[in-house]
Amino acid sequence: MTDLLLSQVKLSGESQFGTDEYVVNMGPQHPATHGVLRLIVKLDGETVKETIPVLGYLHRSIEKISENRTYPQCITYTDRVDYVSAMSVNLAFALATERLMGIEAPARAQWLRMVFVELQRLASHLLWMGAFAGDIGALTPFLYGLRERERILDLFEMTCGQRLTYNYIRIGGVMIDVLPEFVPKCRAFLDYFEPKIAEYEGLLTYNPIFLERTKGVGVISPEVGINAGICGPSLRGSGVSCDVRKQQPYLFYDQVKFNECLETAGDCWSRYKVRMNEMRESISIIRQSLDRLEPGPIEAKMPPVLKAPTNSEIYSRIESSRGEMGVYLVGDGTAKPWKVKYRCASFSNLYLLDELTRGWKVADIMAVLGSLDMIVPEVDR
Amino acid sequence: MLTGENIVQLVSGLLHWAYAQAGISSLAGVIDPIISAVVMFGFIAVFVMFLVWMERKVSAHMQSRIGPNRVGPLGLLQTVADAIKLTIKEDVKPVNRDKVPYFIAPIVAFVATFMGMVVIPFDKGVVVQDLNVGILYIIAITGFTVIAILTAGWSSNNKYALLGGFRSAAQIISYEVSLVLSVVPIIMITGTLSLSGIVEYQKQAGYWFILPQIVAFLIFITSATAEANRAPFDIPEAESELIGGFHTEYSGVKFAMFFLGEYIAVVVSSAVAVTLFLGGWLPLPYLDFLHIPGFVWFLAKLLLVIYLIMAFRWTFPRLRVDQLMDFGWKVLIPISIINILATAVVWFCLYGKGAQ
Amino acid sequence: MTNDELKSKLEADFKDQVQSVVVTAQKELVITATVAQYLSLCKQLRDKSGYEMNHLSSLTAVDYPKENKITVVSHLWSYKNCFQLTVKVDVDRGNSSIPTLFGIWASANWFEREVFDLYGVVFEGHPNLRRIMMPDDYQKFPLRKDFADDGFIVKPS
Repeated sequence: MTDLLLSQVKLSGESQFGTDEYVVNMGPQHPATHGVLRLIVKLDGETVKETIPVLGYLHRSIEKISENRTYPQCITYTDRVDYVSAMSVNLAFALATERLMGIEAPARAQWLRMVFVELQRLASHLLWMGAFAGDIGALTPFLYGLRERERILDLFEMTCGQRLTYNYIRIGGVMIDVLPEFVPKCRAFLDYFEPKIAEYEGLLTYNPIFLERTKGVGVISPEVGINAGICGPSLRGSGVSCDVRKQQPYLFYDQVKFNECLETAGDCWSRYKVRMNEMRESISIIRQSLDRLEPGPIEAKMPPVLKAPTNSEIYSRIESSRGEMGVYLVGDGTAKPWKVKYRCASFSNLYLLDELTRGWKVADIMAVLGSLDMIVPEVDR
Repeated sequence: MLTGENIVQLVSGLLHWAYAQAGISSLAGVIDPIISAVVMFGFIAVFVMFLVWMERKVSAHMQSRIGPNRVGPLGLLQTVADAIKLTIKEDVKPVNRDKVPYFIAPIVAFVATFMGMVVIPFDKGVVVQDLNVGILYIIAITGFTVIAILTAGWSSNNKYALLGGFRSAAQIISYEVSLVLSVVPIIMITGTLSLSGIVEYQKQAGYWFILPQIVAFLIFITSATAEANRAPFDIPEAESELIGGFHTEYSGVKFAMFFLGEYIAVVVSSAVAVTLFLGGWLPLPYLDFLHIPGFVWFLAKLLLVIYLIMAFRWTFPRLRVDQLMDFGWKVLIPISIINILATAVVWFCLYGKGAQ
Repeated sequence: MTNDELKSKLEADFKDQVQSVVVTAQKELVITATVAQYLSLCKQLRDKSGYEMNHLSSLTAVDYPKENKITVVSHLWSYKNCFQLTVKVDVDRGNSSIPTLFGIWASANWFEREVFDLYGVVFEGHPNLRRIMMPDDYQKFPLRKDFADDGFIVKPS
């Protein structure tokens, strides 16, 4: 496969001195590609002429596997679609299945889902912030990010026993009710965490070197961004209002107050700023959800075997940590889905990488790649 | 009173006595420098190991971690354990490497930086060889690192390594200029190139050069950080871009040599900074009465400067290669030239032409 | 605008250009078109005021071996008007070919490569129709329903 691909990378002698292009094969093992992404980068000195992403190194064919599993079994696989933000994918699949079968989860379950998905967003953004800073050479924020993420994972572990792949949000509700001490612990965490965001911002946001590296780098114009399917915080950095939570509210997002974070410049710094602000909004959403949490059932009444109606289909979208997460389900009257499709934000965001890095320096590939918040399991599925 | 000079005299006397006993007094002039070099080597090796430990502790502190704490008290022996591990592990070599340069590069990198230590005065009279062109020697000898890194990058036959080598060559050559220019005002003032001479001048003048030459000090520290390939100027190794840069393909002892070379480079540049700007072995003002030996002062100041350089590394993101060049050529060099002119004008106004 | 209103609007605006407009039991608005109608329909959906479906949210395919067809399904979203549309086109399983949407939404590039890779649907005019997930020299189309019979899944005995 390598030879085949490299042979397609034509070595042209366009340069003035008739020299060859410098083709660097970044990945699948590379510290900045966040997993097993492979980039074939054509260089002219330090200047990038072309970046060709080569996908598929983490392709586990989750969609095919899901076709041979029952709906509740599929939830386990959704954890692996995006293991940094597993709750979101759990939720995406659960919501799609519920809409497909006409199940309505009880209110407590819905609020709990909101708490956990937003906590997951915090955890994911924290990890992203650290990785992004690490990509452009600042290693310290990564540890700070992980320090707080650890406490979120403790909350998750306390509830569902897992720290990475939760399988917590189920069809028709959630796996288990939270412990009585969860709510105070969660509030304590939020109070502890809120001032920390200012700390991270103090470390990065207006650091001159950080500004040099991110301002004006990888600019996505709104038109290009929409057309190329960029979504989530990456598109909001360009000033496009695209939050699914606002545009097509699910759960109880229409009942809580939060702002959609927008920046206008569309560069790496704007995308960074959007995510930092989103963390503050998430804290506010979690607080409101905890306030509205009332005792009650956590799972809807469902038949023992879940079967989708014949010839039914649904395309359901949520706003995951990385952006728009869509699940397309086709039911055929049996207990197994006929077709499952995960529309993942990383996949569509990565598409623009080539265009954004062309003519920039090698180091900018890492800045842009980091700022798009791409994660390989979601790209390859 | 115990001073560095006394110790040197004591040791030297002991040695001469030993030579006389062995009947090789005629060779004393040859053996003396060798022995002092060996002592220096031992000292630096231990000191660098301590620095590696210190760097890990400093970074751990800045990142709210604990850092090494298993091997030895406070993890002090961790570096020793790491060094042993590096020494006994397999030396993985790329098949298509350029054999001879690949072998020589780490040695050159290590030796070149290490040789800089030869002229550093740790205390009055405690110096391996007090050259009268000490600064010139240090600048010349540390310039060798660029050859080592470029050779390493080229001979590894690895694209990342080559990119790292090129980056390093561009970077070190650019920052060498501002480094030298930042030192020039001090040479103008003192009229000597000898490091001991510069410290003596500061002693007589009663102030350290960091006061009148704060700009030069800042430029020197910045350039020295860049010279040593330390963050935020670590683009030649840029872990997240070039994996390891020029030392991507090195392992085992050879890697250790690059690694130690980098730390020795930090020590050398910090030592020069201490000597030039912070009064070398001179005690802090008004603290002479404490009778603390000069080399303790020197080491204290040295550690302070090294801590500063370490703090840079764990605080700042990395510059991009073109921004790095811009910063070197468009900011540091013009400022240092203006600094030279300003120094010349001020000194001429103060003392007329007979400054020396 | 509810889906039913939108449905009547769509039927009025695209009378001869669609096969059917249906609101499914799950309250999804689904347009079915033929291969010939596909490209111009999508172009109008993007450009026509009142629709402005500027976001191709997803493009995938569903295999129906019994009916010997593969349905290419595109999900459109309008950031401006906030509604969702599904466009379905049936292609023949043996000789599947359909125009590319790359000229309309750049995001179709990788979506279509994925469908080509996993279903073997050929997108005419696609700038770079290569496999994206599977190795380049791979021969089969894994998401087709008959793929499982190749021993892909070990059935418990």
